[in-house]
Amino acid sequence: MTLYIGILYSGIILMALLMVTSKRLGALIRSFAAQSFLLFLVTILFAIKESSAEMYTVAFLLLSIKVMAVPYLLSKMVRRIKTDATTGPIVNPTLSLFIAMLLIYLSYLFAARLFPLYDRVQESSIVIALAVTLIGLFIMVFRMKAIAQIVGLLVMENGLFLIASAVSGGMPFFVEIAIFFDIFVCVIILGMFVYKINKVFTHIDVDKLQELKG
Amino acid sequence: MEILFILGITAALAFTALFVNNARTLGAINAFGHVVTAFFALKMAYAFALVGGSLRIGNIFYIDALSMFFILTISILNVASSLYSIEYIKGEFTEGILSLKKVKTYYALFNIFSLSMFLVVILNNMGMVWVAIEMTTLASAFLVGFHNNKLSIEAAWKYIIICSVGIVLALFGTIFFYHAVSSCVGIRTLDWTEMVSAASRLSPHIVKTAFLFILVGYGTKAGIVPMHTWLPDAHSQALSPISALLSGVLLKTAIYAILRFAVITNRCVGEGYTHSLFLFFGILSLGVAAGFILVQKDLKRLLAYSSVEHIGIICFGLGIGTPMALYGAMLHVFNHAVTKSVMFFGAGNIVRRYGTNNMNVIRGVSGIMPFTAAVLIIGAFALVGSPPFSIFVSEIMILISAFTKGQYLAAAAFLLFIAAAFGGIIFHLGKVIYGKRPEGMEVTKEPVSTKAAFVFLLTFVIFMGFKIPFVINKLLLLTVDIIKGV
Repeated sequence: MTLYIGILYSGIILMALLMVTSKRLGALIRSFAAQSFLLFLVTILFAIKESSAEMYTVAFLLLSIKVMAVPYLLSKMVRRIKTDATTGPIVNPTLSLFIAMLLIYLSYLFAARLFPLYDRVQESSIVIALAVTLIGLFIMVFRMKAIAQIVGLLVMENGLFLIASAVSGGMPFFVEIAIFFDIFVCVIILGMFVYKINKVFTHIDVDKLQELKG
Repeated sequence: MEILFILGITAALAFTALFVNNARTLGAINAFGHVVTAFFALKMAYAFALVGGSLRIGNIFYIDALSMFFILTISILNVASSLYSIEYIKGEFTEGILSLKKVKTYYALFNIFSLSMFLVVILNNMGMVWVAIEMTTLASAFLVGFHNNKLSIEAAWKYIIICSVGIVLALFGTIFFYHAVSSCVGIRTLDWTEMVSAASRLSPHIVKTAFLFILVGYGTKAGIVPMHTWLPDAHSQALSPISALLSGVLLKTAIYAILRFAVITNRCVGEGYTHSLFLFFGILSLGVAAGFILVQKDLKRLLAYSSVEHIGIICFGLGIGTPMALYGAMLHVFNHAVTKSVMFFGAGNIVRRYGTNNMNVIRGVSGIMPFTAAVLIIGAFALVGSPPFSIFVSEIMILISAFTKGQYLAAAAFLLFIAAAFGGIIFHLGKVIYGKRPEGMEVTKEPVSTKAAFVFLLTFVIFMGFKIPFVINKLLLLTVDIIKGV
């Protein structure tokens, strides 16, 4: 059991690194879907272990929203907008990968300080969860396509989901459901704004949105 | 039970908006609904002021004096904003800026936005509070980007993205609190009531880190410097009645969430920790905002930065943390809400009439819109904290507490920045209000409902400079007890 979870966790962080290095929006979205799928497998494993119906529900919500619906909507957006399909990087992939490594090390330091009493498995899961969140933030800040920023936000939320299940076995059921619903609505609304930006500005490079300042 | 009416009426108004096809009728129905809501809120607040205590409905809602104070503030601002909306939206509709469909969307979103703010302050489960706060962002994002032009869409995009990242950090903090409760006490809950009663047994280590995340996360939504960057954009681009709500109550609901966690943190690690954080961010916000106020050219951005300044004052008061300072800070929440709404409504009228936000172009408002100009002069002096208006009372309370507590350096910084903001706002608005009126602009007739909104708010601004009404006074005293954990 621990072994499987360990493998899945490694997969999750690997997907995060893939996202950091991907140059094209399509690849970014596919890696995100894969990461969410691994997250779904982790949740299913926990659900089997604790045989709780609530965990199964959460897992299937994860599958339907983050693995299927959201990536589908995002790829549709990429096709319809006919952008040049790069992620709009302002830091090149090699340097990004290096920074991502640094973020993983930072999360390790943070987790070791904050939760000193944990066993190795739990500690590494906290480290990975934190690192995924930070990498999500990195994608949001250093990728200038609006769609890439949405993916960054979703990656941050994947990380949060992991932290919640790693440190305290998941949030209360209703809160978890409400958060899923919220994320879904958030992505839809962000998507609507991406279309609006594209219509008004004829591009979706958010670094060129700089008329408001001071 | 009144609370269910308040929620019910607001939700019903959101639905009504979809079925009424006349802009003015819809506005009037909306305003009437909010007057009724405010009446219920007042009735409820009166009951609280008489007996105190708290009200629980199931395990979902928990309402104590702190929640009640915010419910009252939100409902009063809703009345003002919905009154002002009637002619504002009608005007844009007649000019063809908004289609009928957009007018209906406006009123529907207005009420969803209000509903989500009410939910923030009454939910017991801190996870659900998080969801409600995210809901406020999502509902108001469309109201910020309502005109679908380059500026408003840019503002709306920044608003959602920055606030969503902030709020993710807040969820992080919430999860840490949840972890602290479940690992130290063994109950798996996010209910505030239970978290507070377990607070003294939590691990201080985790609680301190968790509170930092909460402060930065919800602080983004509250517009605390340096997480305030979305605020001037969103406030300047939103429709003016919405700017008033954003500035007046939305920022404060985030402060409310921080306060709830601060109460837990105080019980766990003592008051010193949260006080020094509040004080630091308060002074930082004051200083940065004062700088931007001095060099501002855009009328609505000026008011937005003034909101950052006032959030700084509130944080400063929370950071001093004596009962009198807390009373002052909470009173300031209310005073700033009503005064800033007056200013945004006034600015809204000006911007509509002149067609620009640029303060170098707008001149001679007193000659064109005498009523608005008069209101703005009173509002400006009230806003910068000159006596005999209400903000003066709350600011002086905070200042006296800072001195009596011996925080001379902080108090000196506070005075300096307030003085700078005073100079900046009066200088800029003086030029706008007086000055030579542009040629070819006629005196404009101002509609009754707009005047009613002004008078309604100014009553609070002026009256509360002399006497704090019984209900509010009692609620504030109870609120201070809650924050102090007595």
